[in-house]
Amino acid sequence: MPGQIPVSTEEPQAVLGEGLPAMSIFRFLSLPAKPNGARSRRIPCFLVGSLVALSLLATSCKKSSAPQRQPGTAIVVPTQRATWIRNFNPFFESQARWPSTAGIYEPLIIFNRATGEFIPWLATSYRFENENRELVLRIRKGVYFADGVELTPDDVLFTFRLMKKYRALDSFAVWNYVEKVEKVNDEIRFRFQRPFTTPGLFIIGRQPIVPEHLWKDVEDPVKYSDPNPVGTGPFNQILSFQSQIYEVGANPNYWQEGKPGLKKLRLPAFGGNEAMALAIIRGEVDWSAAFIPSIDRVFVKKDPEHRGYYFPSLEGTVMLYANTTKPPYDDVRVRKALSHAIDRERIVRIAMQGYTRPANATGFSDLYNNWFDEKVLAEEGDFTRFDPSKARSLLDEAGLKMGSDGFRTLPDGSPLEVDLNCVVGWSDWIIAAQIMVRDLRAIGVDATLRTYAFGAWFQKLQLGEFDLSISWSDGSATPWSFYQRQMSASTVEPVGKPAENNWQRYSNPKADALLDVFASSSDPQEQRKAASELQREFVRNAPAIPLFPGPTWGQFNTTAVEGFPSKENPYAPLAPYKAPGQLLAMVELRPTGTPALPGQPGGPPPQKGGTRSWGPAQPKTANNVIPLEKTSEEQAPEKELSQQLQEAEGTRP
Amino acid sequence: MKFLLRRLGFYVLAAWVSLTLNFFIPRLAPGDPASALQATFQGKLDPAALEAMKSAFGLTDEPLYRQYFKYLGNLFQGDLGISIAHFPAPVTEVISEALLWTLLLAGVSVVISFSVGTILGILSAWRRGGWLDSIAPASFIFLGAFPYFWLAMLLLFVLGFLGGWFPLRHAYSDTLSPALTLEFLLDAIHHAFLPALSIVIASLGGWLLSMRNTMIGVISEDYVTMAQAKGLSSRRVMLNYAARNALLPNITGFGMALGFVLSGSLLTEIVFSYPGQGYLLFEAVKSMDYPLMQGLFLAITVAVLAANWFVDIAYVFLDPRTRR
Repeated sequence: MPGQIPVSTEEPQAVLGEGLPAMSIFRFLSLPAKPNGARSRRIPCFLVGSLVALSLLATSCKKSSAPQRQPGTAIVVPTQRATWIRNFNPFFESQARWPSTAGIYEPLIIFNRATGEFIPWLATSYRFENENRELVLRIRKGVYFADGVELTPDDVLFTFRLMKKYRALDSFAVWNYVEKVEKVNDEIRFRFQRPFTTPGLFIIGRQPIVPEHLWKDVEDPVKYSDPNPVGTGPFNQILSFQSQIYEVGANPNYWQEGKPGLKKLRLPAFGGNEAMALAIIRGEVDWSAAFIPSIDRVFVKKDPEHRGYYFPSLEGTVMLYANTTKPPYDDVRVRKALSHAIDRERIVRIAMQGYTRPANATGFSDLYNNWFDEKVLAEEGDFTRFDPSKARSLLDEAGLKMGSDGFRTLPDGSPLEVDLNCVVGWSDWIIAAQIMVRDLRAIGVDATLRTYAFGAWFQKLQLGEFDLSISWSDGSATPWSFYQRQMSASTVEPVGKPAENNWQRYSNPKADALLDVFASSSDPQEQRKAASELQREFVRNAPAIPLFPGPTWGQFNTTAVEGFPSKENPYAPLAPYKAPGQLLAMVELRPTGTPALPGQPGGPPPQKGGTRSWGPAQPKTANNVIPLEKTSEEQAPEKELSQQLQEAEGTRP
Repeated sequence: MKFLLRRLGFYVLAAWVSLTLNFFIPRLAPGDPASALQATFQGKLDPAALEAMKSAFGLTDEPLYRQYFKYLGNLFQGDLGISIAHFPAPVTEVISEALLWTLLLAGVSVVISFSVGTILGILSAWRRGGWLDSIAPASFIFLGAFPYFWLAMLLLFVLGFLGGWFPLRHAYSDTLSPALTLEFLLDAIHHAFLPALSIVIASLGGWLLSMRNTMIGVISEDYVTMAQAKGLSSRRVMLNYAARNALLPNITGFGMALGFVLSGSLLTEIVFSYPGQGYLLFEAVKSMDYPLMQGLFLAITVAVLAANWFVDIAYVFLDPRTRR
């Protein structure tokens, strides 16, 4: 078979060894470190000469091997980058230095991915008016920028108008939905082009707010690197900045009293994953996001009391897309047959190292747990169940008969050859694709894995020139944008014209109607019903084949700093790189051993239920005003908080 | 003198050719900065915002030849453009951050490796069959044959991680800031030691062997026998007669190596988390950052040509035949 890639998944290490050169060093490192006395004799003789020269330096080195910590400092590694460039422009999350987006310039409302709640931040309340065509935000008082100027609704107005003038700043496309924004009675009023509720709250709420009195003089905010940011956030002082490390100091006048608990954050730069993992494994880093294989053995086991990780599956679901413009993939039976053939348990275990779970037929990641409707799966059947015999009978039914060579043919008798596209070097996806190719061959589908460089792969996907392709899916706050990009006619482009989403080019009028209901309603019951029906449409028609929800990465080490979100206390996502969610954790961190504030998570006796100093926001009752001043929340009796948490958890499947 | 001027003219032509290639080759590669940007956003970027960003980056649909003349024009004004991967920092700023460390690490290790290798080569050729000649070439070739990244990781693991004698990363301690103090200089040397050692170990063998082999050929020349017959000191014959002539091929190689110092040493930088040009170039290629690639290639081109120019000058001193 030309271009065929050998598929051997029986022995996971053999496959992983190919894709991940880093693996070897980890096996290397997981050997127990030898006690200090034993090591020098083992050094090969060729190094002895150089060691003599080192002995002069050796005294000073001892210091650096055990870095001294100033109390109140957290060492954070949110991303891997060889050198830092001084850029704090909060409009470009991927280019700006951490934590500019959210940590220095704060957002209005934070969508907490871990709990599915909207948490008021610089906005204290929101409500929808005029048949959900207007969103009204009340802006918090008593919030000050780093230069002492108070935050006003005008700053919010200015920020959004700036994004209208410079579209490059508007990366979440607020102005695709908003008609105008204005200030009425000290409240900010967004007028939508058509009724638009929860999805709008997400994209507007996440926007970091910049001070008008400084940014109005910026000549070109798109090319502005904002070297000395002036924000309202918990960490808004740049204490030092060098190409290999910088320090961000706490805001002494932060509007949440007693927070942040830390004095400063230090951010070292790492060029390679190996060096980054070494530092994390050696316990030099408090909060990080790195892919560490066999994390329990390599990282946690070295100090289980302090070390932990939390990989909630809160990214969009990774899908196998079948090109529905091309026979036989236009037949839902074929798509479901392909799906039934795939052993997701194996993919999750081998390709993802067990860091996520197999997807179900709704395609939902854990992000949408609050919307998930098990009844739909029970009634419509789960096409993601591993069931090769069902897959075979579905293919037979669709007319794809088994040929004499052991592979199936199209109804007209021509051979069925299936290319499965993947990206060069994205090893987790490649391993998943190898497993899928093997599974598809087992039911007589002549599948071949094709790997392309990212640009070429993405182009084929966008233009609709593929049979099967593995790719990501949307991971924003509501099922609305997720399903819009899977099933809405508005996202379908003709083959040959690049599509931003909906690469499978599937549309469903019923889904479009349901999406409209969802986006224009502020009645939680109605939204829930629409979401259930959307799940039904997806499960019935299999527009895409869900594989596994994407995990978010985060490790912590509580030797010096505590208060991290964790599996036991999932008050927020742990991933430090996800704005604005990381802000929820950032304000709660404190030096180990300091007592927790009322309502703060963790602490020596973990306060049950106290997830944060806020009452739970109630996103499902959109017309309700979110509870106001935070002081009243902090005094809320503990019992009530834990009750609320139980209720919140009860809604999660 | 005429020889040097003629060479200079050739270099100007070579510079223009490579500048042109610098412009076209990245653009011939599949993919473009916009799709690379999409990759970093995992498709979450709105198409309208993407369009706006593209125009901010200066990515236009203008015909390539117009872009090319614009690029040449900007180049002569010293404007290398704005980096896409490090947007909105200008390319010159991005490169200058890394340039110093690359010059320091790769430059110093090439010089050390060349001088030590050449001297060992001279000595082992002069006393061929002696103990040095039987140990040094074999063992350094043996070491140099290891995959470089493995050797570097081993050094890092044994001397840095297990031993704790050397820092695991970076060009200087996180607690210091760059300054011309003794403390900082010692710290920088301490940090550069392991990466430099790994480069020297890996490349020493090549210098040693080529010097030794040329030297052996030269030693059998008549003028060496003549010099010895004249009763000149053994040391003078070795250095001024044999080594001076045997040095020419190594000097050429040295010039090339010096020129390529600016391309950085990617693996060293990755293993030791050392700042430098190599990783910058790697990142630039990954994100299809045309302006940064052009800037880096320009720096490499200029360095290679300048190094060759110096080699030419060195030839004039070493080889009388060129002095005409």
